[in-house]
Amino acid sequence: MSNFDAIVVGGGINGLVAGAVLGRKGKKVCIIERADRFGGMASYAVDGGPSLAHALYNLSPRALKDAGIDVDRATFTGQQIDTVSLADDGNHIVFKANGVYWNDGSQHPQSKAWCELIQRFKTYGGLLRQLAEAPPPGGHSASLSRARLAEMLRLAKVGIGLKMLGKSEMRRFLQVVLSNVYDIVLDDLPDGPVAGMLAADAIRGAATGPRSPGTVFNLIYRLGHGGTITQPTGGMTAVVDTLVDGAKAADCTLLPGTEVSRILVDLDAVTGVQTADGQTLRAPLVLSNLASPLTSQLTGPSLFDIEATRRIRNIRARGTAAKVNLRLKDASPLPGLKSEQKDARLIYAPSADYVEAAFNPAKYREMSKAPVIEALRTEQPDGSHWVSAIVQYAPSDLDGGWTQEAQDRLAQITVDTLDCALPGLREQITDTQVITPDQIATATGAPGGHWHHAEMSLDQLLTLRPANGISRYAFGPKGLFLCGAATHPGGDVMGLAGRNAALMALEVQK
Amino acid sequence: MALESRYDAIVAGAGHNGLTAAAYMARAGMNVLVVEKNGWIGGAAVSRSLHEGWTYSNCSYVCSLLRREIARDLDLPKYGLQVIPYEGGASFTRDGDHFAYYSDHNALRREMARHSARDADAYRAYSQAIMRQCRFIRPFLLRDAPDPASLRPRDLGELAYLVKKAHGLGSRELGETLKFWTMSIGDFLDEHFENGLIKAHLAGSGIIGTGLGVYSPGTAYVLLHHYMGDIDGGIGAWGFARGGMGAISNAIAASFKDHGGTIHTGAGVEKILSKDGRVQGVALEDGKVFYAPVVASNMDIKRTIQHHVDTTDLPHDFTKAVNNFKIRGSSAKLNISLDQFPDFPAAPEHTSFLRGDMHVSESLFELERAYDDWKDGRWSEKPYIDMLIPSQIDPTMAPTGAHMMTVFVQYAPYDLNVDGTRSADNWTDAQRNAMADTVLNQISVACPDIRDRVVHMEVRSPLEIEREVGLTEGNIFQGELTFDQLFFNRPVPGWSQYSLPIKGLYLCGSSAHPGGGVMGAPGANAARAILRHETRHGRMKGYAA
Ligand SMILES: Cc1cc2nc3c(=O)[nH]c(=O)nc-3n(C[C@H](O)[C@H](O)[C@H](O)COP(=O)(O)OP(=O)(O)OC[C@H]3O[C@@H](n4cnc5c(N)ncnc54)[C@H](O)[C@@H]3O)c2cc1C
Ligand SMILES: Cc1cc2nc3c(=O)[nH]c(=O)nc-3n(C[C@H](O)[C@H](O)[C@H](O)COP(=O)(O)OP(=O)(O)OC[C@H]3O[C@@H](n4cnc5c(N)ncnc54)[C@H](O)[C@@H]3O)c2cc1C
Repeated sequence: MSNFDAIVVGGGINGLVAGAVLGRKGKKVCIIERADRFGGMASYAVDGGPSLAHALYNLSPRALKDAGIDVDRATFTGQQIDTVSLADDGNHIVFKANGVYWNDGSQHPQSKAWCELIQRFKTYGGLLRQLAEAPPPGGHSASLSRARLAEMLRLAKVGIGLKMLGKSEMRRFLQVVLSNVYDIVLDDLPDGPVAGMLAADAIRGAATGPRSPGTVFNLIYRLGHGGTITQPTGGMTAVVDTLVDGAKAADCTLLPGTEVSRILVDLDAVTGVQTADGQTLRAPLVLSNLASPLTSQLTGPSLFDIEATRRIRNIRARGTAAKVNLRLKDASPLPGLKSEQKDARLIYAPSADYVEAAFNPAKYREMSKAPVIEALRTEQPDGSHWVSAIVQYAPSDLDGGWTQEAQDRLAQITVDTLDCALPGLREQITDTQVITPDQIATATGAPGGHWHHAEMSLDQLLTLRPANGISRYAFGPKGLFLCGAATHPGGDVMGLAGRNAALMALEVQK
Repeated sequence: MALESRYDAIVAGAGHNGLTAAAYMARAGMNVLVVEKNGWIGGAAVSRSLHEGWTYSNCSYVCSLLRREIARDLDLPKYGLQVIPYEGGASFTRDGDHFAYYSDHNALRREMARHSARDADAYRAYSQAIMRQCRFIRPFLLRDAPDPASLRPRDLGELAYLVKKAHGLGSRELGETLKFWTMSIGDFLDEHFENGLIKAHLAGSGIIGTGLGVYSPGTAYVLLHHYMGDIDGGIGAWGFARGGMGAISNAIAASFKDHGGTIHTGAGVEKILSKDGRVQGVALEDGKVFYAPVVASNMDIKRTIQHHVDTTDLPHDFTKAVNNFKIRGSSAKLNISLDQFPDFPAAPEHTSFLRGDMHVSESLFELERAYDDWKDGRWSEKPYIDMLIPSQIDPTMAPTGAHMMTVFVQYAPYDLNVDGTRSADNWTDAQRNAMADTVLNQISVACPDIRDRVVHMEVRSPLEIEREVGLTEGNIFQGELTFDQLFFNRPVPGWSQYSLPIKGLYLCGSSAHPGGGVMGAPGANAARAILRHETRHGRMKGYAA
């Protein structure tokens, strides 16, 4: 039996950050991870293939700093990549930081409109980031505690940020964040690949289509850290290794390959955890990187009243993103792409209508017949070459289940779709991996294999994330906190949920 | 009545909101003229006789939302308004079963239990949640939406009122409220119920008139839009206006005229005249010109700005926002004269629920698919229908022994997709008839003999609704009821308090807060704004609005 000040259950991105933040505040921390390697969804991979997450765009410097990790590490800065929207006629469109171009380098007529839209969303994203870097508003009972004051100041800052936008821009912001991406984008652009790319980015990982109100928020969320997309040097594994090093440097004890089977509670306060291999580890503070349903299973559901149980049960988390990894026979470039596009982020989303149509079947528990794809070319440490593709929509609750036949069909659809735009790709593929949301759920514990552990819809954000009444990380018995993607502000390889949770735990413990 | 050339205020459009605004202004002593393009009044709250002996509520067909403060202020019962509540309703299934919705609690419970014991238990919590939301929202209907970007005392006051109300809920309830406002009706129902038929029955109100599906966030709020009314204090109750929905407009008009108001029908406004950023009056299609320092437009914001005012001097942001205002047609209507009462084989004998609203949708997925058809520019293969036979309760609607049936249809597009081309011009007679056929097929799920009962039928696609009532694209609410177009965002950010960027020009129809339905609130609120800004005495003394 060992004793710690704090135990983190789960060593995903957020668990690692939470552990490091606590460790740096002098806590004796143990991070327990079921899998043999850390990183959870971000680094999950099968048979030497690419990890689930493949690109960095939302990593939080604030979270890294509090975890004691140098933001400018080469791992993170990696290689900034352009986005290429694939067209069946080979007329691909390239999105760079400064505009939109045709394949031949000439400027796309919608370049200016796209830049203006992106710029506006980035400004809004900056405002929302201020909210993301702190616990969601509300929840203090004491009339004017220091925390309350700090919170009011922070909100005021966002308020001032809004005011600085100017009256008319502020009003516009309050309209746009509540809107759907389809309408907002098509107000300024004709439908086509440029609109399609924005729609695709807005629905990635979500169980919504671009016409669903609230989807602009997802797009803004993605742009909260400036919108630059990088392929990290050494892949997602290297990013996770860096976080693991950070946790070690903060004197955390790391226990990979160990499953937590119970969170121990005595007299309504946590006392530690029990592992599947029979160890009991004691600590007055437990942070769970798992979503709330699993966490409440670990404590035993009796600790939650009917109301809380109902709310936890009602949290929506239908994963819709599958991973399809295509192994290539060699390092030769992908057909139809120019050499400077070889590392680009490839998007298949010819129009916003296409993205919405792709979503339709998912509503009825079917996979898209014409899917939305984000693909990256990657090289694994063993020298193998892959196309790493995120394919939507592939609902976790597929009608009939994710049988081998269904997986093969998804692979087929993915290859067919990409091969249309990159003719000849098919011949380069030697092997195919399909990782479905339900496999992700089994492997990592993420409910429904959901990208963010819980849908990022307006009714599950801020004070409502993951559910009303449990939005400020504290969860059930005294000393228990949630610290995963299901909490505010949400997922991505970002780290803010873990960092906020750790700070909140310290605050409450004081 | 002799027309003058100069008035204190002119209202463009004699919809029920235009008439409401006019009536309040007349009562405050203003000399008001209402001009209407049609030869009759009422807009979408109208009764017309298109087939000898029968009366149709051509557009809106049931009443609940009309604010009772307004009925009281304008003395509407005295001017002939009588609303008769109806009770119950039902959803029929293709395999011959049905779910009956009774207003009697015990009967409803038994019926729910017949489909799902769990759902019978869950109903209480569900209806309590809805009632709580209704109670919260109702006080806001007759108030201005505060401008969050403004520091004016009035806006801060309204904001403070909002905060106080929200605070009064307590943080737990506030969270539930925020969640309710932002979620979909489908998700909300899934949280409470398991039975598909029960859910489908309850979901309809969340999509009526909207370009959204049952699983689109924000539709739970739309449901509220159908529950926040009342009849004689019965919250959420619905009823028929005796003589059809036109009786409401007629009563408001009578009240208006009794206080010196004038209504001129049969010639629409061609142009709202303005000079140096100040409104002057209106020029009609028949060449007449009337002058007034105040013009209130009952037309939707898009029609008002795009077709009837000079936009050259308007702020670019404003016109752009108006151009981007979402006002998509999604509803159609069938009004049917029946030779006798149709046969409902699935209904028990002497049941009361045939007097209520009837539907034939069996699951949320079926409703969602109906929405997918609309997104593609087609009317739904299996549309949601809201069907009533008001002549059972109001005998004035049809000859003795005969009946009148009103069928609301969701979804039907404005820009119909024919062979890949989307255009309102595609609504030919053949297409309209084909749609009617689809709807009759749906109706026949409940009453197989419907085709034999039809004496006359009026079929209205969104295009006809636009043509007659002037509702752009046929959108029944004068603009989508989505978050980005509600409250301080309605109709467009910065202009949610009835005035428009031309001095003296106001908006008094459903495009303004709090939105569509036969409610009267936008009209009353607009009158309040006008009296405050444009008259010396200022307030609507003694009135609730
Ligand atoms: C297909 C896919 C592709 C993605 N691509 C990207 C991308 O390109 N870029 C990006 O930024 N984001 C991406 N994401 C999202 C991102 O990966 C997640 O939001 C993020 O990794 C969540 O991190 P987390 O720490 O909150 O949770 P998780 O990563 O789910 O961590 C939970 C951890 O808990 C462990 N655990 C579970 N049960 C137990 C137990 N009983 N005992 C001990 N440990 C346990 C799990 O093994 C896991 O390590 C992607 C997601 C998916 C599904
Ligand atoms: C098919 C249908 C069914 C409905 N069902 C219901 C229901 O059951 N219950 C309910 O509460 N609500 C219902 N509604 C919604 C409700 O009827 C409307 O939201 C409401 O009546 C709108 O009232 P309004 O006064 O704001 O505008 P309108 O009724 O649209 O009034 C606008 C008026 O302006 C006139 N006009 C237009 N252009 C000009 C011009 N250039 N010059 C002069 N006049 C002009 C029009 O002719 C019209 O009279 C329904 C609507 C429709 C279309």
